Amino acid sequence: MRALFLAPVLILFGGFFVYPFLFTLYASLTRWSGIGAMRFIGLGNYVRLFKDATFLLAMKNNIIWALSHGFIQVPLAALVAMILLRKPKGWRFLRTAYFLPNVISTVALTMVWSSLYNVQFGLINEFITKVMGRAPVNFLGNPDYALGAVIFQAVIYIGYFMIIILAAGMNIPKELYEAAEIDGASTLQQERFVTLPMLRGTFVTAITLAMAYGVRHFESTYLMTGGGPAYATTTMGIDLFLKMDALRYAEASAVGVILILSGTGLIVLLRRVFGKSDPMSEMAQ
Amino acid sequence: MAKKNRFASFVAHGLKWLVLGSLLFVALFPIVWLFVNSFRSNLELQITSFALPERWLVENYQKALQMASLPRLFLNSATASGFAVLLNVLVSSLAGFVLSREVFKGRDLLYTVITAGVLIPIIAFMVPYFSLISRLGLYDTLLALVLVYAAVNIPVSMFLITSFMRSIPKELEEAAIIDGCGFAQRYTKIIFPLSQSGLVTAGTFCFIYSWNDFIMAMLLTTGLKSRTIQLGIRFFTSQFITDYTAMFAAIILTMIPSVVAYMFLHNRIISGLTAGAVKG
Repeated sequence: MRALFLAPVLILFGGFFVYPFLFTLYASLTRWSGIGAMRFIGLGNYVRLFKDATFLLAMKNNIIWALSHGFIQVPLAALVAMILLRKPKGWRFLRTAYFLPNVISTVALTMVWSSLYNVQFGLINEFITKVMGRAPVNFLGNPDYALGAVIFQAVIYIGYFMIIILAAGMNIPKELYEAAEIDGASTLQQERFVTLPMLRGTFVTAITLAMAYGVRHFESTYLMTGGGPAYATTTMGIDLFLKMDALRYAEASAVGVILILSGTGLIVLLRRVFGKSDPMSEMAQ
Repeated sequence: MAKKNRFASFVAHGLKWLVLGSLLFVALFPIVWLFVNSFRSNLELQITSFALPERWLVENYQKALQMASLPRLFLNSATASGFAVLLNVLVSSLAGFVLSREVFKGRDLLYTVITAGVLIPIIAFMVPYFSLISRLGLYDTLLALVLVYAAVNIPVSMFLITSFMRSIPKELEEAAIIDGCGFAQRYTKIIFPLSQSGLVTAGTFCFIYSWNDFIMAMLLTTGLKSRTIQLGIRFFTSQFITDYTAMFAAIILTMIPSVVAYMFLHNRIISGLTAGAVKG
């Protein structure tokens, strides 16, 4: 009976997680165009990838994404969360509103942002030309601006990290703030000496998650620039998809393996470096 | 001294609302802009892309519905996400029941392995998914999307549902066993009905993912018979080339299901998210 109840999940998990993982791992060691048999060749695809300028560019962009996620998005989210923790008027509404972009499809949002960035009729260029009196900027079409433009667009997703930090912040015992206030700590000092240290563990979690999302970044950039212009905004995910499109399935699989290793490896590594030390759990003991 | 303090608190307040306001602006303004422009004429849009409509044109929405086989795309998306949610919640609740209420060797390991699936970047699986779905003869079918959407959400659903089921008191089940309830009845009569709240949370996550998905639909379908709304609006640009504001109206329509789900269930979504991440 137990087996019968577990079977459907095991079949789906096996078919769409375990099998694909092993398949990708093996396919990455072969020569294979998607049609016909795979021929085992060893690590050749990996050697080729690390000489492949496009892939190296994708990796570099993923590192930029990971850093910007971890050290721009999370700090902004933390700032908002710390303000909302003081429960200003309408904080519940604000919490819901900040998260809203996360439930709207990337297709819809990137179509809007592409319109806003558009060089002929985009609102941002309307501002630049009419108000500032400067020449219009082709944000998504100019290799110098494109990466910055897609990274800036991702700021709309800070709501996710804000919610994580906010939830942890609400668990900080009120007594700590009361004690600090009795000791004469100002609001800023309370944030500095109570909130920040109490949330250290949560920040590590949020930064780790955010960086892992940076490594797997695909959708919004693919939809806004397709990885261009001249691969300026490409990422490993986009590189994988384009290689697949060009029937280079084995190399695409090697990119997949690197994507999995760097995505999950980053999480494990950061946990090891920063430790899981969380004042909340230490206090509970 | 008092004057100085008042000034400082004024500045602090100003800074606080400046931070909140500017980030809220970046997050929400594009949606407001889209909404307002979906009621304007193309001529107005050409003059300036930032103004209220002279007259609110509901016709844009009628045009959108007629031009792009939008009803068909809606139906396809609703079918794929609806069945994906049903399948995902059903299988996760069955397995969640065993993993939360039964004791056996390897149980915790199994739970850890399944929930660790969230760490996998799904885009890394584009090659095997394409190859598997093709070999199953499911390429370009809605069934392919149902299977993939249901499967991809298993780690999240298993986490949410299993932890919810763990919180149901043992006594309820023990009473049922004394009354003669067997294994299957403990699931159908006790655990399944009592975990509805957890099932709805898991289902909501699965629905929002499925409704909004672009990558899997692009990878696994090609024709109109299985084209989802997200793929459809992506290719609107060619159909609508002269009629931007009708396209904006169409995009607004596609947002409605997931935004409505969020409006009604945002508390569950927020608590579901925090349960996962804070523990993580």
